[in-house]
Amino acid sequence: MKKIEVILTQCLDDIREGRVSLEDCLNQYPEVRAELELLLKVALSIKAPIDIRPSNTFKVKARAELMNYIHTSQLRKKVKRSPGQLSIRYWWHIAWARATVIAVTVVLVISLAGTGTAYAAQSSLPGDTLYSVKLGIEQLQRIITFDEASEIELELKFADTRLDELEELVSVPVIQTANDEGSNNGVSAMSIINITVAEPEVVSIAKAARITIAVDGYQRNLNMAITKAANVVEGEILVEEVALTILSHLGRLDDIEGMALVDSQEIIADTRSVAINGHIRILQILATVNAVRATEINLLAMQVRLARADAEAVKGNIGGMEDALQEYEKLRRFGEGISNSTEMSGQDTISVDELNARATTEHMESLGSIYGNASQDAKGAVEQAIDVTIETHKQAVQGLQQQGAQGDIPTEPPMPDNIPQGDKGNTQDSESNNHGNNNK
Amino acid sequence: MREYETADTLFDIDRLLDKAINGDGDAFGRLYDMYVDRVYRHIYYRVSSTNDAEDLTQQVFIKAWQAIHRYKKTTSPFLAWLIKISQNLVIDFYRSKKTRTYIDFDVVATESKHDPAQLAEEQFGRYEIQQAINKLKGDQQQVVLMRFIEDFSFSEIAVALGKSQGAIRVILHRGLAKLKTILEKAQ
Repeated sequence: MKKIEVILTQCLDDIREGRVSLEDCLNQYPEVRAELELLLKVALSIKAPIDIRPSNTFKVKARAELMNYIHTSQLRKKVKRSPGQLSIRYWWHIAWARATVIAVTVVLVISLAGTGTAYAAQSSLPGDTLYSVKLGIEQLQRIITFDEASEIELELKFADTRLDELEELVSVPVIQTANDEGSNNGVSAMSIINITVAEPEVVSIAKAARITIAVDGYQRNLNMAITKAANVVEGEILVEEVALTILSHLGRLDDIEGMALVDSQEIIADTRSVAINGHIRILQILATVNAVRATEINLLAMQVRLARADAEAVKGNIGGMEDALQEYEKLRRFGEGISNSTEMSGQDTISVDELNARATTEHMESLGSIYGNASQDAKGAVEQAIDVTIETHKQAVQGLQQQGAQGDIPTEPPMPDNIPQGDKGNTQDSESNNHGNNNK
Repeated sequence: MREYETADTLFDIDRLLDKAINGDGDAFGRLYDMYVDRVYRHIYYRVSSTNDAEDLTQQVFIKAWQAIHRYKKTTSPFLAWLIKISQNLVIDFYRSKKTRTYIDFDVVATESKHDPAQLAEEQFGRYEIQQAINKLKGDQQQVVLMRFIEDFSFSEIAVALGKSQGAIRVILHRGLAKLKTILEKAQ
């Protein structure tokens, strides 16, 4: 005779799959009927209460961070210096004056790292006296970094530090006395080797000025990372690393804005513009060598903006939602630019068009959600975004059709159910919802 | 509710796994897309907090990427392997908090097709069962949750908990018997 646990699991599986009824199962095993009936009833009364899923916002952000982590970890393994770069560095190394500066710098960094001043400076914020020391230490780190990959990583790390500072600053009250604890010994020591370090700041400055220092610094670090990555020969992987880091900054700035007091939100929006412009610049560089990857990263950024718009719509923040949709539109137009230039550079246009066409499904899904969450006043902005998304899909499909590569991509983009018919663009009435190749 | 894997999907997963094991980050990203919901759900039922569930879900995939080169397809299904990582992280999570929260099924329903009276009755029954499951110990609670709430197969549960399928059946039988006793006492 079968063991009761085997009978129990067999019956449970059969009943859940609809192959037998409870009664059928009990009749099949009369010898254990009484026990089996009670256990099956208990088991069948347990039901999953609801379908729990993570939010789209979380999924998109977590994916971007995961991919950033993966690419950064791969980068460390892959990046090696080319022989040409080595020779340039070689000349740099043998110049005796440089060597002297390096030696002094190393000694200084080591000695500073061991002092309380350097330690305290690490947690200083713009406007604090020790902030100059912090920037000076960063400058020293630049001097003793010799290969491009490490230089770029350093700038990205500093850009992250600027965002840490921004995060701390935006959550403090409007006027904050700057921290003037500590000594200026570090500043004096660095001036010996002619490193540009600002004079100690005025002890008390307004919060807005302190935030501006952090944002300007962020922009500088980002620009340096982009410029350095652009100048590396065969530096595609470095360019990609910068692009992925900036992508993660977009999500991070959303988080910072979420915790910021109202008076700081405008400056965070400005910082996001800096990040978006950086994103566009670096992807322009990437697109010249790998338009497919540039398109993928841009589509991820577009999805992050839609997730943001949805979150703002849920909060009832029309302005925030509209800003995020405008950023989405800016990135969408940039994506069109990549697509157009791909053909001219002789790269794989089919993959780019296919990525754009397939991404429309996710974008329309998000736009449907935003439309559902948006107040009546705000629906107009969502409708515009839907229209341009439909247009992007049509252009991508047209490109694929011209090359006989439409495959299973629908001619019409999938429309969310909650969008009224009138807002479903002009595509519905003109063409049938065709699948398959429509070769010219 | 179970997201069944068709032969095509299984083929895709297999291909993606091969690529990911060989260091293809994009393939791993696709696997993330496929499994993030299941991993999140598994963790959510155990920590009852959206923030904690999100943090731990992210950690699961980072750890999975770090260890993917050690993953053996023949030893366990990928989902079961992810769940095993989740289990360890949840254990660490409670170890660091030094508390044990109860499983919370009272989350906002995304959709309800029932009338209010029926819903109230169902919720009452659900509450009793939730309380009873909370009283189950260790593996019995894990197996009941994974089988009936999360809809894992016996083989997936066996791999995740490091036991044989036969042992899982025995644990399930004992868990249901215990649940029956708890519910009888409650009445």
